[in-house]
Amino acid sequence: MENRRVERGVKRGPVFEIEVDGETMLAYEGETIAAVLIAGGRRIFNRSPKINRNRGIYCGIGLCYECVMVVDGIPNRRACRQLATPGCRVESQAGLGPWEGQQ
Amino acid sequence: MKETELLILGAGPAGLAAAIEAVKAGSKVTLVDENPFPGGQIYRQFDRGFKVSDAKVLGRDFGRGQKLLAEFERVRDRVDYFSMSTVWGIFPNNEVTLLLQEQSQRIRFQKLIVAAGAYDRPVPFPGWTLPGVFTAGGAQRLVKTQRVLPGEKILLAGSGPLQLALANQIVDAGGNVEAIAEAGTIENWFRLIHASRGQWQLIADALKYIWGIRRAGIPMLRGHIIVEARGEQQVEEAVIAEVDENWRPKPGRQRTLIVDTVCVGYGFTPSTGITRLAKCEHQYDPLQGGWLPVRGKNMETSNPDIYAAGDCTGIAGSMAAIDEGRIAGIAASCSLEKISPTEADRRAEPSRQRLASRKPLLQVLNEISMPRPGLFELATDDTIVCRCEEIRLREISEVLLQGAVSMNEVKRLTRMGMGNCQGRMCAPALQEIIALQKKMPPADLGSLTPRPPLCPVPLQVLQES
Repeated sequence: MENRRVERGVKRGPVFEIEVDGETMLAYEGETIAAVLIAGGRRIFNRSPKINRNRGIYCGIGLCYECVMVVDGIPNRRACRQLATPGCRVESQAGLGPWEGQQ
Repeated sequence: MKETELLILGAGPAGLAAAIEAVKAGSKVTLVDENPFPGGQIYRQFDRGFKVSDAKVLGRDFGRGQKLLAEFERVRDRVDYFSMSTVWGIFPNNEVTLLLQEQSQRIRFQKLIVAAGAYDRPVPFPGWTLPGVFTAGGAQRLVKTQRVLPGEKILLAGSGPLQLALANQIVDAGGNVEAIAEAGTIENWFRLIHASRGQWQLIADALKYIWGIRRAGIPMLRGHIIVEARGEQQVEEAVIAEVDENWRPKPGRQRTLIVDTVCVGYGFTPSTGITRLAKCEHQYDPLQGGWLPVRGKNMETSNPDIYAAGDCTGIAGSMAAIDEGRIAGIAASCSLEKISPTEADRRAEPSRQRLASRKPLLQVLNEISMPRPGLFELATDDTIVCRCEEIRLREISEVLLQGAVSMNEVKRLTRMGMGNCQGRMCAPALQEIIALQKKMPPADLGSLTPRPPLCPVPLQVLQES
């Protein structure tokens, strides 16, 4: 797997696994979900609600909501703000995401 | 409901400086910020887990931030600090509503200082919604505080000094910058150097950045802008064009670069959602990033209970933000009768002097970064201009032909600005694009009227409030 992590200047904390669309990816404590995905060379985070196009992280600071994903079953989580946690389950979001009572 | 004497929104340079001065003056301070740690975007701290092993590679801003953060640490036990909290409403009875950990919190203030900061000015061009197109600030955050490179082959496109800094940060981190497309011309840099006379540290920084770019062999394409990002699933190439002084592409002067990542930075735009929702008076100034709250010399807005400081009032950078924050913190404490007007003036004087001395340089910096009309002509009929509602420029142009003459009318007729970001990503550029199409001054279009909630809030939280 690609690794775009930079070692210079910092020491990373404990490493753990997360699940992204059924695949296992390695994450370090303090990394956002977006950082984990980008480090692994993945940048398509969701498909847009109306015209079904690929979208990924854009503003990177939590304002644009372009990087939303389904995290542990909850849709519309901003990958650029949400920290990865051991064992968390991340899925690409289709449109507005899965809602209770509707699939 | 929580009550506080002085509420400060934002723990970046302006908010921290305001909190420090207000506590020193004896005010009871509540500080609200959406990040886990104080510092804002520019002095952003690492998340738990990361340990800094060599602060030098993280740049001078990091060091400066540490100094302000250390000053804040000395007063922190006297500040009621809400981290991870996002403001979603402000109401006429001096009440602010927050979203924290999926819960709602209401705070009533006597005085308020808004220090909401700024964000990269979003500019629509064909392909700008493809994965792999980042704002320069977003890419910088990835490199600086997550220590991850945004891609393998990177194009930086934009205007002004952030690009130089970002190029160096990427190179220092071991990444590849294929080229820098800088919209401005070499004359800009001469003007900048001229205006920086006496600010030797700034000149030294700029030279270091330029040397870093030369040493890495990165082509610096002055007078070029990105006109399109292309790719099937994500960015695979970028088209850049040589432009005239109005940033309009010269015929036949295009070329295509094979890149997987584009970082776009045409300066910043102030975050004015809170001051606009509070109905403070605003004016339009393209030089400082768009709509700005009108302020007096004590950083007070048209509402006597509300002050505003830092980049949310016009782009001036972190150094100015610290001084404005100090002045606002002192002035708000004076109006709370914690200190006398004479004492307030005495305390604010050094900050006022520093602000005045930096003004000429700031003027030149803003002139260099200010987008020219060509930038707002890049979007084609098919380009998505409102990302959230996926509105194409064609749909905007149609309602303009039908007679829409204000930002609010366009919003009502197309849903532009009604999505998750509440117009943050589309309104700044559309203000200019629509003005060009209508041949009207941008200010005459008015601004989008913000409504609570300012950001997506779970229904359950609204219900609790």
